[in-house]
Amino acid sequence: MSTTHYLVLSAILFSLGVLGVLVRRNAIIVFMCVEMMLNASNLAFVAFAQQNGNLNGQTIAFFVMVVAAAEVVVGLAIIMTIYRTRRSASVDEPNLLKY
Amino acid sequence: MTASSVLAATSNSGAEIVFWVCATLAVIGAVGMILSKKPVHSALFVALTMINLAILYVALSAPFLGMVQIIVYTGAVMMLFVFVMMIVGVDASDSLIETIKGQRWAAIVLVLGFAAMLIGAIVNGLQGVPDPSLVAANAEYGGNLQGIAKIIFTDYVIAFEVTSALLIVAALGAMLLTHRERHTPKATQEERSKARFLRYAATSELPGNLPPAGTYARHNAIDTPALAPDGSTVPASVPGPLRERGNVRPVDVAAEVEVEEISEGKTVVAPINDEDGEQR
Amino acid sequence: MNSLLAAGTSPEFALPSIEYRLISPILLVLGMAVISVLVEAFVPRAHRRVVQLVLTFSTLIVALILVVMLAGQRAVTAAGSLAVDGPALFMQGTLLVLALMAALLVAERGVDPAGDAFAARANALPGSIDEREFTKRGWLTTEVWCLFLFSVGGMMLFVTGTDLLILFVALEIMSLPLYLLAGIARRRRLLSQEAAMKYFLLGAFSSGFFLYGSALLYGFAGTVDLGGIADAITANAGQNGLLIAGTALIAVGLFFKVAAVPFHQWAPDVYQGSPTAITAFMASCVKVAAFGAMLRIMYVALGGVRWDWRPMFWVIAILTMFVGSIIALTQTDVKRMLAYSSVAHAGFLLIAVVATNEEGLAGAMFYLLAYGVATIGGFGVITLVRDSTGEATHLSSWAGLGKRSPWVAGAFAVFLLSFAGIPLTAGFIGKFAVFEAGVAGGAGWLVVAAVLASAIAVFFYGRVIVILLFSVPAADGPTVVVPSSFTAFAIAAGLSLTVVLGIIPQPFLDLAEKASIFVR
Repeated sequence: MSTTHYLVLSAILFSLGVLGVLVRRNAIIVFMCVEMMLNASNLAFVAFAQQNGNLNGQTIAFFVMVVAAAEVVVGLAIIMTIYRTRRSASVDEPNLLKY
Repeated sequence: MTASSVLAATSNSGAEIVFWVCATLAVIGAVGMILSKKPVHSALFVALTMINLAILYVALSAPFLGMVQIIVYTGAVMMLFVFVMMIVGVDASDSLIETIKGQRWAAIVLVLGFAAMLIGAIVNGLQGVPDPSLVAANAEYGGNLQGIAKIIFTDYVIAFEVTSALLIVAALGAMLLTHRERHTPKATQEERSKARFLRYAATSELPGNLPPAGTYARHNAIDTPALAPDGSTVPASVPGPLRERGNVRPVDVAAEVEVEEISEGKTVVAPINDEDGEQR
Repeated sequence: MNSLLAAGTSPEFALPSIEYRLISPILLVLGMAVISVLVEAFVPRAHRRVVQLVLTFSTLIVALILVVMLAGQRAVTAAGSLAVDGPALFMQGTLLVLALMAALLVAERGVDPAGDAFAARANALPGSIDEREFTKRGWLTTEVWCLFLFSVGGMMLFVTGTDLLILFVALEIMSLPLYLLAGIARRRRLLSQEAAMKYFLLGAFSSGFFLYGSALLYGFAGTVDLGGIADAITANAGQNGLLIAGTALIAVGLFFKVAAVPFHQWAPDVYQGSPTAITAFMASCVKVAAFGAMLRIMYVALGGVRWDWRPMFWVIAILTMFVGSIIALTQTDVKRMLAYSSVAHAGFLLIAVVATNEEGLAGAMFYLLAYGVATIGGFGVITLVRDSTGEATHLSSWAGLGKRSPWVAGAFAVFLLSFAGIPLTAGFIGKFAVFEAGVAGGAGWLVVAAVLASAIAVFFYGRVIVILLFSVPAADGPTVVVPSSFTAFAIAAGLSLTVVLGIIPQPFLDLAEKASIFVR
């Protein structure tokens, strides 16, 4: 298998993540779409590591997982607080911020 | 034998089958994530994608990352998502009203173009590049895991150390936003008991349990108030909502007299026929 | 797991050399942030605020002294992941000065009768009995200071990092505390939480773009080191899909952070919803840090393909300047207005990126300093104009403020004049330096567009100044609270720096010029 296949797959997953962020209105789902983008990046890093014949890409993917885990904790804490304040997490529903 | 060595040992077609199956499942997961109405379904689809990515990592000779992917992403991150959804309530599905008309279609067209450009760039960028492998790199460090460890502690040592700041911020943030603090110490059982009896002394509110509905009455149905030993009814034994709605069954006088007679030993309890003729 | 842990001929493990002296300011700030977490854990609640204030201010001041002592250093250290050079030190210094001023605003406790700008306890539901009880007891969310220090540390790392991995990690260290800080305002908490969510989702979205761009550049160059990418570009002449796409995606990630049009949608909402002191902090410091990293990436790593990315930056810069200035005209809320004005400023700063020359770097550094001090001053003034529900940010309630409190209105007018780029203020010198660099860098038409956008901006700032100084004050208008010395000092510092940088800019320009070479 050539790495091009893997990279095209990662591009497709990344684009699907972007699409999800743009079309979905539920905060938790939008956040999962962002996670999908990070995963696609990881796949690209790992595939490129093989392409380039060095292990740096794999190491970076490892760091990205740590960063993503920290991000998830903060993000879910924020989303939970909003849920508790109002029982909904729709991105658009909080219309206080609209004109 | 690890999975990677299995894959390396099998023929090229084996690796191809693994790729196409996992890639298809991963894309199905990503599409399902977008299309699911309920967040929980989305989360499960994402987990599907992540597991398949883990297999692909192994196929890309990154066995360590494959394991970490399963442990960290599917095991911790996605479960955290599901936990939060369970805590806040899973019925929080989207309202399907679009805020900006046609935004959905515009987004789809935009992303299609974006994906086409991205794929074009990748295919263009990798044209004519030979397909190398990681065998040499792994051999240089004496193994995949050793190689990653060496790079973490040499090239990326600063990144490794400052990542701890990130983890501290995450822990602090979660505590700050979701850990509920008490402003008064929690009352012990002894204190609560004392308070109950002090209240009884002041307002003669019963310190013990209320009698359950129907005690000493002819019915033990929930809407029948209990009778006190002196024959009076105890309204508090009927649940509040029933009292509010006026659904309390009156205790008929005959019954009260009967109770009195029984207590005085005048009457022996005889079988009574209920309204529906059933013998009680 | 034999093959995984196979005992091989592993080469001798050699620790990379890290010159701790060069990165001591960053280490100090991050280390003290950890200590301030321990303060939260072990110091009794009654003393926490004082301890945290002393700790934060002394850390920032000592770090600033360390940065000044390092002036003139040029070295890449820590296995090639940190570059301590002129731009890094200048921007670290700028960041520390701005963070000190923002910290003064965050420390303010005199303007809100209930306490400082943050919820008594962020975990108590707004309006609940718990919350009232916490407020009555005067509890304060002193965790703010830990997060503040972490964020400053992340920013300093962001302008120093010289490989894409450390830049990504620094980006997150800078952003995560800010997401949290945005969501814990004492007043209008729901608005504040929504701002935090919006900021978080769009911030995470943008870091996804940054990361994918990094992956593509890694694929192109085989390394994420900025110098290594530049070498790879020199080695492989000609266009490469991975390089172009990676550049574009990294730029998009950074455009989100600096709020350039069309990636600016979050800025007004987030600026409006966050506690004003935090808005001041993020409007000034995040912009400095993000432009610092953008300049480094674009100059050091991607300077070789500047002909490919310049057109994109041209378009974004023009859009940003015009959209920012024009929408700012229509705003009726002072905080939103300053948000759009900061969007417009991002456009002017992009000219310096397009210029890709030393003058551009020096101009951008001066511009960021000038913009930062005026921004913190401006938001500082906003915290003072209050009515019974909190800050009165509607423009109509600011009408005729000059008649009631000439000093405060005058200070705000000076900040607006600096934003508009009127001579004798810092903003004028900054704009002039950036425009000059743009012309020298072959972006003449872009500068012409920028001058037109500036004219629109002058019109809209002028309109606000007229409303502020010459209209009739409303009878039930807001009052201007007399702050404690914290805010007063921050505004005074902003005011004096704006004027000093405007009247005698030469020493600062010289300093920026001397510092304007990136080390590779």
